[in-house]
Amino acid sequence: MIKRQQALFREAHPAPPFWSVRFELPSPPTAGRFMLADLGGPLREVLFPATFEEGSFAVLVAPGHPATRLLPGTPVDMIGPLGHGFDIADAARLLLVADAAHLPPLLPLLQAAPTVSLLVEAPTRALLPPAGRFPTTVELHLLTHDGSGGHAGTLEDESSPLPSLLQWAERVCLSCPRERYPALAEKVEAARLHPAPRFAQALVQVPMPCGVGACEICRIETRQGERHACTEGPVFDLLTLREG
Amino acid sequence: MTWIELAPHHKTGLPISSPLMPAAGVFGYGECYRDLIDDEALGALVTNPVSLRPRTAARAPRIAVHGDTFVVHTGLPNPGLKRVLRHYSAAWARQPLPVIVHLIATTPAEVAESCTQISTTQGAAGIELGLDDGTSAESAANLIAAAHSTSELPLITRLPFEGVERLASAAIQAGTDALTLTAPPRAAIPLPTEAAEEIHCLSGRLYGRALFPLLLHRLHTWVPRLSVPVIACGGIATAEEVEACLAVGAAAVQIDALLWREPGIMGKYKLLKVQENL
Repeated sequence: MIKRQQALFREAHPAPPFWSVRFELPSPPTAGRFMLADLGGPLREVLFPATFEEGSFAVLVAPGHPATRLLPGTPVDMIGPLGHGFDIADAARLLLVADAAHLPPLLPLLQAAPTVSLLVEAPTRALLPPAGRFPTTVELHLLTHDGSGGHAGTLEDESSPLPSLLQWAERVCLSCPRERYPALAEKVEAARLHPAPRFAQALVQVPMPCGVGACEICRIETRQGERHACTEGPVFDLLTLREG
Repeated sequence: MTWIELAPHHKTGLPISSPLMPAAGVFGYGECYRDLIDDEALGALVTNPVSLRPRTAARAPRIAVHGDTFVVHTGLPNPGLKRVLRHYSAAWARQPLPVIVHLIATTPAEVAESCTQISTTQGAAGIELGLDDGTSAESAANLIAAAHSTSELPLITRLPFEGVERLASAAIQAGTDALTLTAPPRAAIPLPTEAAEEIHCLSGRLYGRALFPLLLHRLHTWVPRLSVPVIACGGIATAEEVEACLAVGAAAVQIDALLWREPGIMGKYKLLKVQENL
């Protein structure tokens, strides 16, 4: 059942390179699911939760996002929770993989398993999130294109720590640009022999203006044909995502 | 309840109980908004555009926003008429609402074949034929004649934004039962790029509230000259704008992509009418 909910905007503050925006909402979405919020523009905005507290959730958005301009106490009309989120089942070793710009939707999973490793890639050190922002229980692996922080290179490079982490993990959750998933799927197939279905789950972040499968804008190509990201995703089995 | 007749010259007619319906392309095939929109607020259900053969989506990006307007270019993906009818026609037949299948007008032969399939399957109460922007008056007449040759269902013709003057008379003479004014206009919006000197645009259909005054002007100009019911479509976002369209003579209105932001508009119009009747 898809619900309309009235959220209350509570606060917004800088959390470089993002802004953190918190809403009070009785039924917030779980990791990988999303809300469609009416923030005054011609289309609703897609909001993926980054953190939860009792009866509220926070999102990390780009500076200048319309959510950062709300006044405390403003009611916000939301539709959701929508879509299918991450399913980590009872995995004991969880690997999270993201480029820094797409990291926020993975943050609710930082404490979702007994052992969590996070592999984050950014063009340069200044664009990496500060290490102090993560729980000390999370094993952090950093990659920068210019080598200014952590390993040098990209997730897909031969020297990347990704292959060894893939062999360690029981479940992998990814959040990267859609066009990188086919190459990352190849890495999974190279590192694991016959991985179980949904061993690697990828969040596809594309515009989803209606959220209910009506508008056909969020269609993505998969090995099973075209699928709606909003209703059949936005989390998909990575191995089903082929070149779009 | 006052019924609105969308096809007064048709032998069975196409009566609707409310002047509101979704525009083609914004509502799916009837199942998507079940939890968010009260069916009783709708007069009819217009399906997403359907073609005889399956179509895949256009390459992304498919939407770009500019201020209060946005451009959409989906490529009209659909699984093809046969699969749509197999999957949805039973549900349509159970609906209390009339279902109008929006058919992408391609060639007279394809339109004739499509209309045969639609009219021999239970569930559809009417067909809306979507004419392409470049359609000539002669082509429009041929497409409408093709639809009539194989289907006895009421036929609505949706005219392109720039084609009212060129096509309205021809469509009426060819026997359309009603006209939808209009499909969204074509427009282009620059896409964000990393290099300032590069400009890439997304071309497609333009949506937004800015279209409403254009629609009202068209209705004001054309409704008195047309001998068939007119369904207004373009930028309608509030119950008051629905009323304005009806006041200038539209028989019904279609809510376009603005429905995605405010699916409650249907219920708000119904509430407005209830309050007026108290």
